[in-house]
Amino acid sequence: MSADPGIAGGLAGKTLLITGSTGFLGKSVVEKCLRSLPEISRINLAIRPSTRRPPAERLRREVLASPAFRRLKEDLGDEAFGRLVAEKLAVLELDLGREGLGLSQEARDELGRCDVVIHSAAAVEFDNPVDLSAQTNLLGATRLVTALTEAGGGPHLVHVSTAYVGGMLRGLVREELPFDPGLNWRHEAEVLSTLRPAVEEESRRPEILDRLMRQARSRLGPAGTPSQARAVERLRQRWVRDRLVERGRAHARAMGFTDIYSFTKAMAERAVVELAGDLPLSIVRPSIIESALAEPFPGWLEGFRMAEPLILAFGRGMLQDFSGLPDSVLDVIPADLVVNVVLAAAASRPPAGEHRIYHAATGSRNPLRLRQLHDESAAYFTAHPLRDRWGQAIGTPTWTFPSRGELTARGRLALRAVEAAQQLVERLPLGQAGTRWSDDLNEEKGRLERALNLAELYGVYVEVDCIFDTRNLMSLWERLPADERERFPFDPALFDWHDYLSRVHLPTVVRMSRADTGPRKGPGPSGSTIPVSDSNTALAALRRRAGRNDVLAVFDVDGTLVETNVVEYFFWMRLKDQPIGDWPRFMASMASKAPRWLYLERHSRAEFQRSFYREYEGLEVTEMRRLGREALNAVTLRRIYPEGVRRIREHKRAGHRVLLLTGALDIVVEPLAELLEVDVDCAHLLERDGRLTGDLQAPPPAGEARATLLEEYARRHEMVLPDSFAYADAISDLPMLEAAGTAVVVNPDARLSQVADQRGWRVERWQMPPGNWRLPMPDPRSVEYREGVGG
Amino acid sequence: MGRPGAVLEVDRHTPPTLFHFGEGVRLEKLPLGSRILYPPDPLDPLQHPERAIRRALSKPLEDDPLKALLRPGMKLTIAFDDLSLPLPPMAQPDVRQLVLEEVIELAAESGVEDVHLIAANSLHRRMTEDELRHIVGDRVFTTFYPERLYNHDAEDPEGNVYVGLTGEGEEVTLNRRAAESDLVVYVNLTLVPMDGGHKSMATGLGSYRSVRPHHNVRTLLGSRSFMSPRDSALHHACIRQGQLIEDTVRVFHIETTVNNRPFPSVVSFMQKREFDWTPADQATFLAVKQFCDLAPPAVKRSAFHAMRAPYGMTSVQSGQVEAVHEQTLKAVNKQMLVEVEGQTDVVTMGVPYLCPYNVNAAMNPVLVACMGLGYMFNFYRGKPVVRAGGVAILTHPCRYEFDSVQHPSYIDFYDEVLADTTDPMLVEERWEQRFAEDSWYRQLYRKSYAYHGVHPFYAWYWAAHAIEHLGDVIVVGGEREAVHRLGFKCASTLQDAFEMAEQTVGRFPSVTHLRMPPVLLAEVT
Repeated sequence: MSADPGIAGGLAGKTLLITGSTGFLGKSVVEKCLRSLPEISRINLAIRPSTRRPPAERLRREVLASPAFRRLKEDLGDEAFGRLVAEKLAVLELDLGREGLGLSQEARDELGRCDVVIHSAAAVEFDNPVDLSAQTNLLGATRLVTALTEAGGGPHLVHVSTAYVGGMLRGLVREELPFDPGLNWRHEAEVLSTLRPAVEEESRRPEILDRLMRQARSRLGPAGTPSQARAVERLRQRWVRDRLVERGRAHARAMGFTDIYSFTKAMAERAVVELAGDLPLSIVRPSIIESALAEPFPGWLEGFRMAEPLILAFGRGMLQDFSGLPDSVLDVIPADLVVNVVLAAAASRPPAGEHRIYHAATGSRNPLRLRQLHDESAAYFTAHPLRDRWGQAIGTPTWTFPSRGELTARGRLALRAVEAAQQLVERLPLGQAGTRWSDDLNEEKGRLERALNLAELYGVYVEVDCIFDTRNLMSLWERLPADERERFPFDPALFDWHDYLSRVHLPTVVRMSRADTGPRKGPGPSGSTIPVSDSNTALAALRRRAGRNDVLAVFDVDGTLVETNVVEYFFWMRLKDQPIGDWPRFMASMASKAPRWLYLERHSRAEFQRSFYREYEGLEVTEMRRLGREALNAVTLRRIYPEGVRRIREHKRAGHRVLLLTGALDIVVEPLAELLEVDVDCAHLLERDGRLTGDLQAPPPAGEARATLLEEYARRHEMVLPDSFAYADAISDLPMLEAAGTAVVVNPDARLSQVADQRGWRVERWQMPPGNWRLPMPDPRSVEYREGVGG
Repeated sequence: MGRPGAVLEVDRHTPPTLFHFGEGVRLEKLPLGSRILYPPDPLDPLQHPERAIRRALSKPLEDDPLKALLRPGMKLTIAFDDLSLPLPPMAQPDVRQLVLEEVIELAAESGVEDVHLIAANSLHRRMTEDELRHIVGDRVFTTFYPERLYNHDAEDPEGNVYVGLTGEGEEVTLNRRAAESDLVVYVNLTLVPMDGGHKSMATGLGSYRSVRPHHNVRTLLGSRSFMSPRDSALHHACIRQGQLIEDTVRVFHIETTVNNRPFPSVVSFMQKREFDWTPADQATFLAVKQFCDLAPPAVKRSAFHAMRAPYGMTSVQSGQVEAVHEQTLKAVNKQMLVEVEGQTDVVTMGVPYLCPYNVNAAMNPVLVACMGLGYMFNFYRGKPVVRAGGVAILTHPCRYEFDSVQHPSYIDFYDEVLADTTDPMLVEERWEQRFAEDSWYRQLYRKSYAYHGVHPFYAWYWAAHAIEHLGDVIVVGGEREAVHRLGFKCASTLQDAFEMAEQTVGRFPSVTHLRMPPVLLAEVT
């Protein structure tokens, strides 16, 4: 054994090629090589040119800027570090996604000169679309091996795989080629990597598009065709992705694997062994890689990996329960141990044409059981609790470990109930309360979906009831010279889980999540009850743009500025126009039409207005204009939000131009605009022989038509829309809100409230002071009314 | 002949006392030893008002008979008080209708054709058609409306003329039609001593420019009280302005007074002293109380505002303004005056549903302050009923409710100005100008039925003297947030209010309850 040259000896003077160096493990390997293996003559980093950055730039920004290199930079100083990098590192442009790797001749030559190739590039997310996983994990590996054999030079290939290629097995998993359900990897690669066109095609089938359109319409229908079409396309793309993920997951599960990642990795192992031919081949199978134990610093971790979302969800009290076998082994391994295994494997070149497999796993020598993880987390979060939005410590849940089926069934049921409640709330005419409830339900829905997703994704892993054998690994360890055991430790029995979890890993997870852990920053609550006015971002923006005459403030009227709708005016004007004896008949006819209007209003405001304005057919124009003027005092001014009028005046004081853009009729809106001394763009009815026809002169300004009107107006008056303001209340105003730079949502309906939330628009609640309530009818005792109708 | 006013001491046999409570009423037990001030019973009205009016017109004070002033081809303007008087609005026929009809008839007899009738509503809201009709009566209305019967518009740039400056530098403006008339006949209705005299023309047909010199905090702090014209800086300023107007245009004043009977017989318990309540009154009280406790605000409001007062005319005089007004004040004082000895530590007042500025509308919190601390507090002559540093306890629901047609500027005053400060001086300094010149309020004042933008400020200044004089103001049964916004304290019961008051005025304070309305004027010796 003493003849073994060890890691440093084995790699001395060698040229390395590392793929996946922008990833977590790849980066860690590069760092370790630079820091601890000066004997290596050169490290080529295989980097794919991305559309945004050339490879050299990616090396600098995505690899060397990482915190992993901080220690090295501190030890050496920036200058020496720069020299070291220049001396040792080189970029080799290489694209695993292309046949032949897209190599230049130079690169091909360089490939031929490599002695060791560490292949750590992979699409590691468990829920990647199936084609991406197949492309990267399976085809990427085969392309690399093919290129290596073609380039000659016979380098030692270290293929980083995963311990879970064994699939969902029980008992001991040996360091051998994975279980084979009788699949041909070539065929699998062919089918899986080309699934996308089929799914894309499927997504365009009428029944799917119909369903997506119905979904989009129920959420955005009144906002008009373009908004709806955009929403359908977004939904379709998400559908395709979900479908590809789903296909991957189902396929992997059916073949006995936990997910598409381990499935494609298993196929890749078979492919690599088959294609390697004379190449010496080592396969390193890490289990779940987590934060580094000691190197380059304790807790080095990048991106959220397997256990972190679970741990955080636990700490945040979001996962009240979780499935799994409490005594099952959760095979987690610190990253630096894996790095050392990879380097040890790389230094120990098997004879040409042979392959060796190493499990980098802790299960056999130092098992962590699910219950211990739960208990350690509970203890840690009890001592260092996360804080909720009020700064209170969040308590930790106690898991009962039900079966996964039970857990997901419970979750699905809750999710269905919440969805049903939300649908109901959105369809009932509940006004502002409905919006509030719907928002709450939406939040609850998001929480349930996240929990369910976690259960779906990770549930399998905590049910895997197997132990990964590490005999090959241990023989590698035993051959290592004593001094290198200090510098390159990878015996899984060398550390203690309690220490690792409480000192290194859990603090790392909390740090990386940027969750609140301390009591609130700044002065604590003083108990002072002095009123603090809440800041108003819209008003602040308004004041910032004061004095500019190219700023426009556009207000929707019905529902935004005035707490009423077109029906109420009509009702009042018609009642005022007929003797009290005719009222019951008129009211009955209105009541009989109300359900249809309610339905149309929900579907599309434009259609509703069109239908409703038919009621004006045959009415005298001059009479209606007179009544419209009276309705201003009797209806409009009783329903106009003081806050809205204040805002309009504030805009006018600031020198802005104000426009009322509404689907209400000229006869009722123009008197208001006159009083406010602002511009107005509203609906006009055609007239014939002094009577209204009930037909509109132009399509009602709703949905996308509003945005166009706004743009036209802005162009005509040389207004700068990105600096302008739009105020509206309904989803049908969405295009108008989108067109203006500052969108303010006033008393939104449930659908607009959700959109506003997503886009970070300011939501204001304007209210009518009580004391104004009147029936929308003239006072029948009034002499003026009685004389007016000839009574 | 009714009984004079009375000051009664609460003893063990005293029945619970009526407190007005906005659109509601409550009976309260006052502490033993408290005083209750009752207004005099209503005087008997004139038997033949039309005859009295004719007599007054033919035998004016220090002026020629009206008939002698009228000649064909002349320009005659008749101005009359708006609906802020009397309260509640009078059952038809309104006294002003009777006077107007007489004056118009005389004018017609004399061949005067160019006659305009102008409601002297100053910065108050325009009256609606129905409201105008109610005051002037059907006959006058149909003859003159709308071309020759209309509301004064203080913001019409063409409709007002600048008259000049008084000796004290107060600006005077006047309605153009009135200023250019050969004769202005002013038809007044005086309910309380604040009304009438020179104030009628100077204020009623004035504008912001001419009202500002006396409707300000300094003047009102110098008016102790404005219900006592001889002690009122406000009235002194009005007199100076009025005299300037008299120099510009010939004015013939007709002033009327009414008796103390604001409540119709259905709610006679409100009119009577509690000792005099009959079983029927008890029953009505219970019914009204139940109704008020249970009915929604809008329903209560329409019921209360439908009330019409059975006022009876007690005097009418015409002629030269000062001579006329002296007689008027005598008549008013005769009806209102109650003598009371010494000031009190705590005064209690039940604030009713109505003040001069919310006819047919909700009484908003600003008007509650105006009514309680402006009007009711100031019904004194000599010294305030409550001592300096004493406590006023008001009962009113003081809800956050506004009529957005009549009181748009009040909403903003409450939301913006009072949120900033309640100190009348600071309010005036920081905010008045902006509201007074706001074009939105101007539009609403001119074209809709809104009080002028500056009006909430005046309502607040009205209370300035009380706010300065009092150590504390407690509103019983008010909406906490609204009461705090006004800068007052809120108590849930009268007993709690007394306990709170004790912190300011000490244990066992003297208590006086002003049993208004019907209104009384306390002569404190």
